[in-house]
Amino acid sequence: MYTPRINWVLFVLFSLAAIGVFAAALISPPFREVAYAPARELIIPPPAPVIVSVLYSTEKEAWLNEVIIDFEKTNPTINGHPVKVELEKMGSWEINAAVLDGTRKPTIVSPASSLQIAALQDASASQFGKAIVNPADTATCHSVLMTPLVLIAWKERADVLWGQQPSAAVWRNIHDALVNPQGWASMNHPEWGYVKFGHTDPLKSNSGYMTILLMTYGYYNKTSNLSASDILSNSDYQKWFLETESSIGQFESSTGPLMDKMISYGPSTFDFVSVYEATALSQAANAVGRYGELRIYYPSAMLWSDHPFCILNADWVTPQQTSAAQLFIDYLTSKPAQQVALMKYGFRPVDTSIKLDQAGSPFDQYAANGFRTNLSAIPNVEIPAGNVLNTLKDFWSRKVSK
Amino acid sequence: MKLRVLSILTAFSLLLSACSALSSVIPSGTVTVRIVYGSEKQAWLDPLIKQFNDAHNKTADGKTIVVEGTALGSIESVNGIISGTLQPTVWSPASSIYIPVANAEWKKTHADDLVTGNPKDLVLSPVVIAMWRPMAQALGWPDKALGWADIANLATSADGWSAYGHPEWGQFKFGHTHPAYSNSGIVSIIAETYAGLGKQRGLTDADLQSPQVKDFMTQVESSIIHYGTSTGFFGDRMFQNGPSYLSAAVLYENLIVAQETKRLSGQSSQIPVVAIYPKEGTFWSNHPYVILNASWVTAEQKDAAGVFESFLLDKPQQLKALELGFRPADPAIPLAAPLDTQHGADPKQPQTILEIPSASVIEGIQNLWTQTKKPVDLIVVMDISGSMQGDKITTARSSLMKFVQKLDDRDRLRIDLFSSDINTLTPLTELGSKRQKVLDSVSGIFEQGNTRLYDATLQAYQDLQKDGDPKHIRAIVVLTDGQDTQSSSTLDDVVSAINAAQGEGGNSIKVFTIAFGGDADKDVLTQIATPSGGKEYDSSPENIQKIYDDIATFF
Repeated sequence: MYTPRINWVLFVLFSLAAIGVFAAALISPPFREVAYAPARELIIPPPAPVIVSVLYSTEKEAWLNEVIIDFEKTNPTINGHPVKVELEKMGSWEINAAVLDGTRKPTIVSPASSLQIAALQDASASQFGKAIVNPADTATCHSVLMTPLVLIAWKERADVLWGQQPSAAVWRNIHDALVNPQGWASMNHPEWGYVKFGHTDPLKSNSGYMTILLMTYGYYNKTSNLSASDILSNSDYQKWFLETESSIGQFESSTGPLMDKMISYGPSTFDFVSVYEATALSQAANAVGRYGELRIYYPSAMLWSDHPFCILNADWVTPQQTSAAQLFIDYLTSKPAQQVALMKYGFRPVDTSIKLDQAGSPFDQYAANGFRTNLSAIPNVEIPAGNVLNTLKDFWSRKVSK
Repeated sequence: MKLRVLSILTAFSLLLSACSALSSVIPSGTVTVRIVYGSEKQAWLDPLIKQFNDAHNKTADGKTIVVEGTALGSIESVNGIISGTLQPTVWSPASSIYIPVANAEWKKTHADDLVTGNPKDLVLSPVVIAMWRPMAQALGWPDKALGWADIANLATSADGWSAYGHPEWGQFKFGHTHPAYSNSGIVSIIAETYAGLGKQRGLTDADLQSPQVKDFMTQVESSIIHYGTSTGFFGDRMFQNGPSYLSAAVLYENLIVAQETKRLSGQSSQIPVVAIYPKEGTFWSNHPYVILNASWVTAEQKDAAGVFESFLLDKPQQLKALELGFRPADPAIPLAAPLDTQHGADPKQPQTILEIPSASVIEGIQNLWTQTKKPVDLIVVMDISGSMQGDKITTARSSLMKFVQKLDDRDRLRIDLFSSDINTLTPLTELGSKRQKVLDSVSGIFEQGNTRLYDATLQAYQDLQKDGDPKHIRAIVVLTDGQDTQSSSTLDDVVSAINAAQGEGGNSIKVFTIAFGGDADKDVLTQIATPSGGKEYDSSPENIQKIYDDIATFF
């Protein structure tokens, strides 16, 4: 068949253009981007990013969203591939549940404390045949921010209830105030009604879990050697514990929203709540705009939220992702990010060279509300073995959960 | 030939790739988010819905989000959702208090809860007793803290305002919305139960068996002038009709602030109104934003509803809420003007709240209320003239029957039929023992003759003044499809009779008129309904049932 030469030329040009557009459309799906992209990008695709997906607990949401912008400005790359971090927030226990049931396959998990990492280590070993995290492995797990669980009250009411400091038996004090049928009337303030306390849902949120653990230690007036039989075999303890819990109307899923409600509803609804020190510091100014000053109390024995960032040892995490994740964690523990965590969000940096009470820090600003920098005199309670943790969780789930 | 085929294939692939690329930038449609919400936040939400729609916000998939809002009583709306007559994407009732009850009802026919998780609050406002300032001052406000018990005492006192040095104010006239339709109605009867028991928490099913509670609730309810469908609409009636109509009502703080803002800017000529924060404690109206866990809500509607939720919680929208008298859900926004004493509010209040009872206790309180609520003495005056033939008489009959079924056993009902004659189908007696007989009689009504509207209305009014129990809600429902053609009395006679009873204020006989079809004289019916404190409705065979439903909320 005869084909004129001009047709050949037109055909080749047309085909090249078509292939070019087709390729461009494949590389860059939104057509608009194709239209405005520089020509070289149409021909050489940019290197595929390394995605670091992070499931994190809500308390550090604002800080993470702020420092991630600074991290991105450093144009981080691994072997020439840009690092892209994708953040998703959840309650601390919900993170474990999502990883274990396979609905999420993150690169990093960051619950509020190492309690959940210990639990995930056990549970993943039985679920996947190997532990996907190890809290003791400093190569993959890093504490990034520190903040203790504290009690936060409206100052006007705290002055009446506790003054400068509750007795060492603070959890027994709380129980007695909550169950007193006279409520605030027994303290000459009938207009305040009954005494109201709040903590989060221990099945979903770490601060709620820490609260019931400290409460249980408080009942026994000890800081170590908590056993499953302490929880299951002592009816006096159970009665005492359930009386406290039944005075709480609703358990929020997460600590931030509970503190938001403390401030937005005011003392009519919450006389005091147990939340993290950092959560309280970040709302101290807001409180004054709503209902007045807050007062902080450190329990007589403490538990810490240490915000571990753990890179998963799972088959869905590539070596490239592990390196990229390490890069991200290095940034989070660097001085600039840690400084922001202290100054704007009230966390205690893991970099101990950063001074807590430096001018303008929330510890400096709110010292009069009872916030303290040095807590070395207060003992920490021992983190019980996994079976004890689970026993307490199950007990709460059976007897209290609404 | 091969080349031609190749060139056609290449051209086709070009077209395909261009299409696939373009499809990601051209929105492939819209997604509609339907919201039913408590009427008390209509002034805030309506303009924001418009603003949001005008901005053509998109979902992550690029679809344009269209929000449609409907203001409805919080309990009425969830009952519609449970029965399937309403199928919105989002339910935003006035408070969370009824969520456990709604979930319990829903789970009778579904596997999961209707409301899951902890929905976010949009705005806050405490439940308060709205009272005209001079009346509150007569009770000792603001130096003396007042509570539900004080309202109950006043409601049950035979002397009314005379006991407080104001005989000119007459009886204490109290109002709250209907607990079967509205959140503040439920809240009111829970607070009454607490006050009757002298408790602030720990209500049990056993508590509701106490005769003390039943007596107390009966007494408080005796001072109610009428109920109503939704708190926002109820507030409007109070602020339009003034202190002779209602002395106090259970409303939300934001409605008082909004009214005072109007008054201070000269848009309302009423006397000032203040919020009383009950000293025993109250409840919050927290306006949860509930994306329903229902089969008719699609994944993309959930996403779109989430976008609208974030918009409402953004600072500019939250500041707008503050301007309208709400307390923003955003804790970073300080409480400031108009949330102040100048606008009838006290931002340092409330000092305490009442505990929200369990779902079963709430249902028990609703049952207790139906036994203690103020009964109605009602005369239905129905036009059966010849022009009612066809659809009109059929739908008038069936909707009246449904209306009769909604009334309680202790309500007293008379039905008058008018045409050339006026006949009483059933006299003013308790409905409980005669309900079926009445339904049978209504089903046999047929049309004939002329229209003696004025005679029939006047006769019903005079008889109800004579035979009605002033301790009951007294009301007349007049339905007509045409103009008066045969009466010996005049419109002036009817209006004069109604005006002569003005001294009774909110306790006077309410006349609700229904203009049925285009031939009815709406002006005349408005002149009859308005001075009585009732309402005129324009109706047709299509919506007559809805009108009867609305009237039923007053009782």
